[in-house]
Amino acid sequence: MGESPAPVGQNEAVPFLLLIEDDDAIRTGLELALTRQGHRVAAAASGEDGLKLFKEQRPDLIVLDVMLPGIDGFEVCRRIRRTDQLPIILLTARSDDIDVVVGLESGADDYVVKPVQPRVLDARIRAVLRRGERENSDSASYGGLVIDRSAMTVTKDGEDLQLTPTELRLLLELSRRPGQALSRQQLLRLVWEHDYLGDSRLVDACVQRLRAKVEDVPSAPTLIRTVRGVGYRLDPPS
Amino acid sequence: MTDPQSQRPGRGARFRSGPWRRLRSLRVRLIAVFAAVALITAVSASGIAYWLNRDAVLKRAQDTALNDFRVSLTRNVSALPQNASCPELADLATQVAGSGLNYDVLVVDETRPECLASSDPSRFTLAKVPTTLQTTVGRPREAGPGSPSGYHLYWQRVNLDAPYLIGGSRVVPTNLTAYMFKSLDTERADLNTLGWSLAIATLLALIGSALLAQAASATVLRPVKRLGEAARRLGEGKLDTRLEVEGGDELADLARTFNRTAESLSDQVAELSAREAQSRRFVADMSHELRTPLTAMTAVTDILEDEADALDPMIEPAVRLVVSETRRLSDLVENLMEVTRFDAGTAKLVADEVDIADLIMSCIDGRAWYDAVVVDAPRGIRAMVDPRRLDVVLANLIGNALKHGGSPVRVTVRQEGEEVVVRVSDSGPGIPEDVLPHVFDRFYKADKGRARSEGSGLGLSIAMANAQIHGGTITAANGERGAVFTLRLPLTPPSPDDQEDEL
Repeated sequence: MGESPAPVGQNEAVPFLLLIEDDDAIRTGLELALTRQGHRVAAAASGEDGLKLFKEQRPDLIVLDVMLPGIDGFEVCRRIRRTDQLPIILLTARSDDIDVVVGLESGADDYVVKPVQPRVLDARIRAVLRRGERENSDSASYGGLVIDRSAMTVTKDGEDLQLTPTELRLLLELSRRPGQALSRQQLLRLVWEHDYLGDSRLVDACVQRLRAKVEDVPSAPTLIRTVRGVGYRLDPPS
Repeated sequence: MTDPQSQRPGRGARFRSGPWRRLRSLRVRLIAVFAAVALITAVSASGIAYWLNRDAVLKRAQDTALNDFRVSLTRNVSALPQNASCPELADLATQVAGSGLNYDVLVVDETRPECLASSDPSRFTLAKVPTTLQTTVGRPREAGPGSPSGYHLYWQRVNLDAPYLIGGSRVVPTNLTAYMFKSLDTERADLNTLGWSLAIATLLALIGSALLAQAASATVLRPVKRLGEAARRLGEGKLDTRLEVEGGDELADLARTFNRTAESLSDQVAELSAREAQSRRFVADMSHELRTPLTAMTAVTDILEDEADALDPMIEPAVRLVVSETRRLSDLVENLMEVTRFDAGTAKLVADEVDIADLIMSCIDGRAWYDAVVVDAPRGIRAMVDPRRLDVVLANLIGNALKHGGSPVRVTVRQEGEEVVVRVSDSGPGIPEDVLPHVFDRFYKADKGRARSEGSGLGLSIAMANAQIHGGTITAANGERGAVFTLRLPLTPPSPDDQEDEL
C-alpha cells in the first residue's frame, strides 16, 4: 500500500487539503508545513468560511480544528458528513478528554493532538488518503450487502452506500477475513496505519458509524459482531 | 457488684477481644456501680431490719413463755404437798403445762430420779435438756436482790428438729427442778417470711437500680454515641457533619464545640482546596495558552530543520537551537498538561487488550533504542492497558535508565499472579539512598548541579501517575548493579473501560 512514491488522491495527483483553524499563527505555520510536504492547501479561519470554501473548492481532505469561534469543529464535521464522505482529520487540544469521542462520533476519521509535528500530520493525511485507493480484486457479497473492491463501492439491497474512505477500508479489512476476529490494535494498523500507540476509540467510533450504514438494525448488529475481549469480526450471513 | 467473668481473663485479653471491651463499656460500668450501691444499701438495711426484728420477736416470745412458766409454776408448787408422790408430780407437770401457752413441762425430783414427770413424755424428756443447762440450773447462786431464793430461772435456745426454748429452775424449797420446753416454730416461720420479703425487696431494688442505670446511661450515652458517629463521619471527610444541640448540659457544650470545630475545619479545607484549585487552574490555563504559539512554532520547525544545512554557517546553529528548544518546550508543556490532567482527575484510561511484549518492542523500536536495551519478554502476556499511557511509562523508565544508568538496560516482563511485572534495570551507579524516596517527585533532580538536564523533571511522576491510573504502581530500588524500576500492573484495570456493546 505504501509502495507508490506519489500518493494519489481522489481526483488529482497533488492532494488538496482544506485547513480550518482560527489561530492565525497555527494556520500560517501548518499551511507552510503542509505545502512543503507536497500538499495543496486552502485555509479558512472559521467554521463558516471553511464550509463555504469546502463547497467552492471540493478538497480531498479536511484538517479541522475543534475549537472554533462560531460553529465549532464538531458541527462543521456533522454538516459536511450530511452530504460528503471525504476524510476529515481533527486537530484537538487534548488526547484523552471528551473532544476525541465527540469528534469521532460526529464523523471524523482520525485526530492529531496539538502541538502536532508536521511529519505526524502528513503521515496521517497520507494514510487517510490511501484508504480510498482502488484495489485489484473482485467483489464479495454478504446477504444484501455487496462490496465491489475494484470499484470501491458498497451497495446494500442494490442501493449505493455512502461510506467514508475509512469506513470503507474498515469494511474491506473485515471482509477480507470473514469469520475471523480482528483486534482493535490490528485494525488500527491495517486501517489507520497507526503503530501500537493507536487509540482504540478510533476503531469503536468507526465501527459504530459503519454499523449505522450497513446493518439492518444498528443497535443489534448481525454483520459486524463484537468479540468480547478481542475486537470485531465480520460474520457472513448463514 | 462486679461481673465475675470480667476478672478472669488476663489483662491483655481484656483489652484486645471484643466481648471484654464491651464489658468495660461505660454502660456496663454504670450499671455495675448502680447495682453495687443498690445491693450494699438493700442488704445492709434488710440485714439490720432482720436482726432487730428477730431479736424483738424472739425476746417477746421467750419473755411471755418464761414469765408464764414462772407464774404457773409458783402457783402450782404452792399447792403441792410436802414429799409429793410421783403421780402428784406428774399432775403438777400437766397443770403447769396447761396454762394455755402451749409448752411442755418436765419435773425432776433429785432425791427420786425415778420419779420423773413430763406433761408429754413423747415430746419432752430429760435427754433433750442440755447438760450445761442442767448443771447451771442445779448450781445455787448467792442470794441477791433480784433472786432472794438463791436459784434462778435459766433458759437456752436449742435446735433439735426445730428451734426450741428450754427454760429450767429449781423449785425452792423443794428438791424439785422444773423445765419448760417451748417450740419456736411459729416465730421461726414468721422470721423466714420476713427474710424472704427482705430478699425479694433487695432483688427488686437491684433490678430497679439496673433499670435506672440503663436509663441514666442511655441519656448520657445517646449523645456520646451521636458525637462518636459524627466524629467518624467528619474523619471520613464529610465536613458538613453537624450535631443537633439539645439542652444546656455539658454534652450540649461538647456538641457545640464539635460543631464549631467542624465549621472551622470545613472552612479551612474549603479555602485550601479553593487555593489549590486556583493554582491548578492557573497551571492548566497557562499550559493551554502556551500551546497555541507552540503549535505554530512546531509546525515550522521541520521546515527550518530541513533548510538548516543550506543556511549560512552563522545562522545554522541558531536555527538548530530554535528547533531543538522548541521541541523541548513542546514536550515540557505537553508534560505539564498531562500533570494538570492527573491533578484535575480528568485523565482517562482508553484501555485495550495488548501483548505487553509487543508494546515494549514498539516502544523501543520507535525510539531507536534497540542496541542499548536487552529485552526479556515472553510473548503472550496480554493485559487490558491504555497503550499510549503504558508507552509513556515504558519510555520514561527506559529513557531514564539509559540517561542516568547507562547501557545495557535490561527489561524483563513476567506475569506474577494477576499482575504484569516489568523490571527495568540499568548498569549505572544506582540511586543514592537519600534520593530514592524522591525519584517520583515533580521537578526533583538527583543532581542539583545539572540544572539543565534533558528531562522535564516530570517524566517519572507522570509515569507513576500513569501506572496508578491503571491500578498499578512503580517502585524504585537499587539492584545488584544499578537502579531497578519495577512496574506492576493488574492484568485488568480496576474499572475496565468496556466499550463492547453486544454478545
